Amino acid sequence: MARAAVLQFPGVNCEYETVRVLEAVGVEARIVRFNEPAGVLGEFDAYVLPGGFAFQDRIRAGAVAAKLPAVGRIAAEAEGGKPVLGICNGAQILVEAGLVPGLAPGRVEMALAPNRAPRRQGYLCQWVRVRAGDGPGRAIWASTADREAAVPLPIAHGEGRFVTADPDVSACIQMEGLALFRYVDASGAAAESYPDDPNGALFQTAGMTNRAGNVLALMPHPERAAWLREVPLDWPGPWGDRRRAAVGSFGTLEGAGPGRALFESLARHLGARHPEEAAR
Amino acid sequence: MSAVLLTRLKITDLAAWTALEAGRRLLPPEHALIRLAREELYLFEPAEGFAAEAFEGPLERAIESSNFFVNPNKEAYRFLTSSEKGAALRPPEGAQGILARPRDDTRDGELWTRLEREHPLEGLGAIRRARLWWIWTRGPGGGPAFEACYAALGRVTGRASGLLVNPHAEADLAFGNSVPWRRVEEFLTHPAPGLEDAA
Repeated sequence: MARAAVLQFPGVNCEYETVRVLEAVGVEARIVRFNEPAGVLGEFDAYVLPGGFAFQDRIRAGAVAAKLPAVGRIAAEAEGGKPVLGICNGAQILVEAGLVPGLAPGRVEMALAPNRAPRRQGYLCQWVRVRAGDGPGRAIWASTADREAAVPLPIAHGEGRFVTADPDVSACIQMEGLALFRYVDASGAAAESYPDDPNGALFQTAGMTNRAGNVLALMPHPERAAWLREVPLDWPGPWGDRRRAAVGSFGTLEGAGPGRALFESLARHLGARHPEEAAR
Repeated sequence: MSAVLLTRLKITDLAAWTALEAGRRLLPPEHALIRLAREELYLFEPAEGFAAEAFEGPLERAIESSNFFVNPNKEAYRFLTSSEKGAALRPPEGAQGILARPRDDTRDGELWTRLEREHPLEGLGAIRRARLWWIWTRGPGGGPAFEACYAALGRVTGRASGLLVNPHAEADLAFGNSVPWRRVEEFLTHPAPGLEDAA
């Protein structure tokens, strides 16, 4: 059975729901504390750095956790091709550790800067739409995603704006399709302004991969949208219609939500068998 | 010339403490990070056609008498008027400084709007913000070793080098001794220098 480690740094707060969704797609998941011997991490097939506030975001979000031996070990495993997913604060850690975009190994080439939107400052908590592109990470993270679909996901961050001060890095990201997930409007077109584009990120990036595509830094929280019941009742479009139609039907509400596809894609890449299939 | 407010926590600064602990692990052998402190810097820029003297008095009273900038239970501050602040920003004894600003516009429009609402100040054009890190270091010879320590824990370049400033989101001005206020003002009012340009 495919096994994933969900890293628990002091201050993360999404590790349990991350484990739950991994298990729902047939991946055995274990929470690994940041100070366990880093060698333990070698036993796993994939790694998830969950959301939260590692080390209380002191200095900068992700800055302290990025220096830990556990992240160094994950960097080494990523070089070997194992998938690594950083969600929100986990994405900030991956960027601060130089794993994303990872054009020059070991070099930090980006930052997740404070959100920038007209007349808004600070922490932002809302639902947005993202669409998967055709970058190198598609086979791992979006193989089950509809190319045209605008997938609703929640965001909750103060520093989610992918930026780089290096024009060569920016050019590479665009040329190689590393901005795998981008914020879009209801029609699926690139988001042009707030609230479709919630933070002013470079290329409206919601999720950026490395060149190999096996490391993904994703600002929205797919684990918070992994069940249909988690979709807001007033959300417009097909997912909202499904959610409203499911009112009163417990079984339907316990079905997959829009964020599940990313984990299903990962599970497929890892060769995991869906729990229902395994039960048969 | 602008007026300046420097604030720091007088209760334990956990961010500075964490930076100290994390920074020590990044230093080259035989180097020591003895102490690290953090201050927030506010630069009050006069509006066109005004001098800072126009608003410094009422601003100082607003700082003293309200919790707008400083909560006196947990923060200490130094308010430096344009005439009192002298020619240069001087580090505390034995310290060296890293002044970090966002790469974006340093003006805090939200703060200015709130201040205008609560304490309207004629002649105040903008409030600019930056962060000051003060570090006390020691090298193999027993004296300060700012350059080596800055390379290890200043600007982030790789996973194991740099800590306090991510140069893709921030620009920094590192100074071993004092730095002229004119230079500080330019650093905060001009566009951020390029990634490879040493500030």
